[in-house]
Amino acid sequence: MATTSEPMPAVTHIGKRLPWYLQDLPRYLKTFGALTVLYTSLRLYQGAFAVSAGLDSTEPAFEQYWMRLFYIELAVIAVVMTGLWAYLWFTRDRQLDKLSPKEEIRRYFTLTMWISIYTFAVYWAGSYFAEQDNSWHQVAIRDTPFTANHIIEFYFNFPLYVILGGCAWLYARTRLPLYAKGISLPLTLAVFGPFMILVSVGFNEWGHTFWFREEFFAAPIHWGFVIGVWFALGVGGILLQGVTRLIDLLDQIEDAD
Amino acid sequence: MSLPVTTQSIKPYTGEKARLVRAYDYLILVLALFLFIGSFHLHFALTVGDWDFWVDWKDRQWWPLVTPLMGITFPAAVQAVLWDKFRLPLGATLCVTALLIGTWITRIFAYHYWNFFPVNMVLPATMLPGALVLDAMLMLSNSLTITAIAGGSAFALLFYPSNWPIFALFHQPVEYANAQLTLADLFGFQYIRTGMPEYLRIIERGTLRTYGQYAAPLAAFCSALLCTLMYALWWYIGKWFATTRYLSKI
Repeated sequence: MATTSEPMPAVTHIGKRLPWYLQDLPRYLKTFGALTVLYTSLRLYQGAFAVSAGLDSTEPAFEQYWMRLFYIELAVIAVVMTGLWAYLWFTRDRQLDKLSPKEEIRRYFTLTMWISIYTFAVYWAGSYFAEQDNSWHQVAIRDTPFTANHIIEFYFNFPLYVILGGCAWLYARTRLPLYAKGISLPLTLAVFGPFMILVSVGFNEWGHTFWFREEFFAAPIHWGFVIGVWFALGVGGILLQGVTRLIDLLDQIEDAD
Repeated sequence: MSLPVTTQSIKPYTGEKARLVRAYDYLILVLALFLFIGSFHLHFALTVGDWDFWVDWKDRQWWPLVTPLMGITFPAAVQAVLWDKFRLPLGATLCVTALLIGTWITRIFAYHYWNFFPVNMVLPATMLPGALVLDAMLMLSNSLTITAIAGGSAFALLFYPSNWPIFALFHQPVEYANAQLTLADLFGFQYIRTGMPEYLRIIERGTLRTYGQYAAPLAAFCSALLCTLMYALWWYIGKWFATTRYLSKI
């Protein structure tokens, strides 16, 4: 990976209220807020149109209210993925060897915020909308892999947390010296393992071609998702890597009142 | 490639460094909360699943066996990091609390408000008493072996009695269409589940009824044995995932 040539300006501006290490806190909180509005809006959309237009995939209304949403989601996912990953790559720091301890500490805070945003998206995908799948498939006949909950869960929530996990991985790889010199195994596990949950949709839906009406949640066709989410435990290793490095960096800077 | 911690670093921080470390703690707390709600809940929903979703699946044979067995996994893995590396005796309680938050939000907003299942039909079980004992056992013994045997067993054995006050009322007998059912069974028949018809319900199989009142304790002790093994296995899984290695290529 290139870590030389164009310099990237180190952040030296100290905000009036926020300390230097929390410079990205407002952006972090705004992203939390935006994601909350987004997921809540999708849930409200389900409440408004799932029963009226989402019970029979052969109806024209299904095409209008649900498949159209599906196509919009695909477009949004493509734009967000391209935009965020390209931004993180093209604005990478090419002079990591000249990074000051304070700037590196600040970037560890920002990396933690990226991972936190990632785990927030994992919450919506792995907790709320995942179990909601069971609830919806107990009142609707699943006659398509694109049901009113799958269109949100499988084809939007899953790709979105994969994108955000990829952002955390790219941020670390392009802006922090230890992550640039070597590839962090726990960070890679915590991002690529849950990515395999998205891939497991194929296994799950293939299984449901045999038992399309049945929804026994502990069935083996769901265990691909389970194994994928175990890899989220890699966050423990990321924490240990971060804490160890922060201790070292804090020893290199002077304390202030 | 991880850096050694110097003895100089062990001194408590003061001033700005102390504030910085506290701010980092708060960031980690938020991160961990959503991480464990999302990941543990998905694991739990897809392994325990219907035994936790539906009141009529909470039987004496499978529910007290499967729930603690799958529920002790993440607590053991998280304890392996939080206790071993940070001396925080709260890994199990953190995981189980996160799971309860996630399940309650879903049961209210996904089951009740979207599809009108009564909340009583989809009440989640609790593993909090077992988790508190598991954390206390690890803190007091500082031993994987003792925590696996005594803590793992307690986690399983406490499950049924701690849930009994919540679910006992649904085991009241009722007569319905000339048959004797429980109130929980009646919920299952009244609220039609298209994806989970009666023939899929895995409860009280075989000749369990000849064992009468002993079925639930037997399931709990079987679960205690398996939880002991599961705890040790997941302790090492947690340690393995919490690696600090850097690779040269993937």
